[in-house]
Amino acid sequence: MIEMSKTLPAAASSDAPRILIVEDDRETATALARAVTDLGADPVIMRNWDDGVTAAGLADFAVIVMDRMLPGGDGVDAIAKMRAAGSTALILVVSALGRAANRIEGLERGADDYLAKPFDPDELRARLRALLRRDAMTVVDNDMLAFGDLEIRMKARTLHIGQTHVPLSPKEFRLIVYLARNAGEVVTRMQLLEHVWNLHFDPQTNVVDVHVGRLRRKLDAVAGRDVIHTARGAGYVFAPGGSAP
Amino acid sequence: MTPWRSVSLRLTLAVAGGIMALSLSALGLQYHALARALEARQSAVLAADVAAFSALYDQRRIVALREAIEFRADVTPPGTAVFLLQGKAGETLAGNIDAWPDGLPALASGVTMDGAQHFDLAGVPYVGIARVLPGGFPFLAARGRGEVESVLATQRGVMLLTALALAVMAGVAGWVVARLVMGRIDRLNALADRVAAGDLAARLPGARAPDEFGRLEHHVHRMLDRIEALNRATLRLSDNIAHELRTPLSRIMQKLDRSEADDAVRDEMRNAIRIFDSLLDISGAEAAAGQTPGLVPVDLGEVVGEVAELYAPLAEDSGLDWRCDIAPGLWVLGDRNLIAQAVSNLADNAIKFCRPGDAVTLTLAAQAGRHVLEVRDTGPGLPDELGDAAFERFARAERDREVAGHGLGLALVQAIAARHGARLTRPPVATGFAISIAWPPLAQQPPLPAA
Repeated sequence: MIEMSKTLPAAASSDAPRILIVEDDRETATALARAVTDLGADPVIMRNWDDGVTAAGLADFAVIVMDRMLPGGDGVDAIAKMRAAGSTALILVVSALGRAANRIEGLERGADDYLAKPFDPDELRARLRALLRRDAMTVVDNDMLAFGDLEIRMKARTLHIGQTHVPLSPKEFRLIVYLARNAGEVVTRMQLLEHVWNLHFDPQTNVVDVHVGRLRRKLDAVAGRDVIHTARGAGYVFAPGGSAP
Repeated sequence: MTPWRSVSLRLTLAVAGGIMALSLSALGLQYHALARALEARQSAVLAADVAAFSALYDQRRIVALREAIEFRADVTPPGTAVFLLQGKAGETLAGNIDAWPDGLPALASGVTMDGAQHFDLAGVPYVGIARVLPGGFPFLAARGRGEVESVLATQRGVMLLTALALAVMAGVAGWVVARLVMGRIDRLNALADRVAAGDLAARLPGARAPDEFGRLEHHVHRMLDRIEALNRATLRLSDNIAHELRTPLSRIMQKLDRSEADDAVRDEMRNAIRIFDSLLDISGAEAAAGQTPGLVPVDLGEVVGEVAELYAPLAEDSGLDWRCDIAPGLWVLGDRNLIAQAVSNLADNAIKFCRPGDAVTLTLAAQAGRHVLEVRDTGPGLPDELGDAAFERFARAERDREVAGHGLGLALVQAIAARHGARLTRPPVATGFAISIAWPPLAQQPPLPAA
């Protein structure tokens, strides 16, 4: 079972998670800070590589948002340095080096997520939320995710709603697990493609919609209510309680 | 390359032919001179005989001639010379043959060297004079040419053997010369092939020789250095463009987020960014064409299978007959994400252009030493006016103006194929569209990690 910190959406306070933003472009830094504030976290902005690395060692940040082409160096090179200095923050690289190859390089070198500039603010918020959530999540039991009468057993790879077993394909199972791990939050199509299909490009058609649509029909039919909701324009929300946030 | 088109072979033949022609004409001249010398000696001996007989005949006529011939006939070994003097009725007066040779005409004249004739007697060739001396006495004096012929025959045999030996030696010499020259040109050709396949960093190992080939190699190397530098500059430029354009685009996106702009404007922005990303992807893949760094062993069937599975529900919803036939265990050296993107673009196109009831088939099989991926559909196919131009950037058929897209899908597929050294072809189909990508196989399948 997973328990989530309920303090996450609270107004900025001393227990609000802190997010370090290392970005030299003023406009982008402001936009990033705004997204951080929207999520109820406190932004700290640094404008160059050295200050960013120093700041990461001084305070306990939940997430660090790094640019790559910074005055003083490549943000991806800073990851190892920050880790060596003892930072356990999750790292989101936000960079104009947005090709799949750059993204994969960033992830391989220790970034927890990678977003290409120019980014969609919804996409940024969704990814920050997923990282904050991962930070706040305490795993009690690795095997079961439960949301009311909906239970997902990881080892058996089964999903039950009440007493009813819902048969799922392996991909559908991965899809529901990823959605469930981000329950209550908007998950974008790009996030699903990356985490469920391990594909780092933007297909011309919304193939993901078709898969989510099928999964949704299966679940809704058994549950008798909406389990997966559509967040207009942005993506999907897994809210088994029946109401979208 | 057919052997006859090979410069190496032609050069070998030319060198060998030249040596042969010169040597054979030298031999021919020598043979001719020898034949003439032998001929002259033979004539001199005959002339001496005739002069002796002529002197005797002048002094004492037939009687002296008869005695001289009898003497000569006794001491002459058979086959080297014939002498014959006949009486008025054709009876033999003296000589070492019994009868006048058939068909040999005799001149009515004195004993002189005029009108020497060639004739055969019992298979031996002779040259000599045949006369009817005054008073009706037929007289014949001839020398055998057997010795000359046998010397010349021996000489011809020697010449034949020499010619054969020369042919072999000239062939070997020609081959060695051609090897020396062509070997160095082949080195340059191999270098050019590697560069054409995308390895811009390829160079010939070792030092440059101080000759024409060395200079040519040096020039080629300098050209390659220049191309490599330009290529690097282009790559840097595109990364810079990416950075410089992404930042303002990024700001526009942020401002849109704060304003009440409608979704249509945002969609247009996303579309512009997508075109921009596709162009960068294409130039990135093209710039890295054929280079192995960055490529890892990829299970082609697995990637194709995953993308096929991703698109299957969409195809089903569009009423298409979606078929996959994927051979397992085909590995390539590749970039999984790029391969997936290429397959995804092809699947996307097929679904976009086909109508309900059409069939789309993805096949992956090992064929003729390559891993061949074929995507085939029974849709409307490529309009004729588009043809191979469909693989160029922003190529769109007039017909498809209403279909969403910006004409970069196939250009990216081609760039990705080139990135992997794969050959892209359009197999002929009766109806619809087919594309085939032949990937260079990975020789050794990497060991599967323990599960």
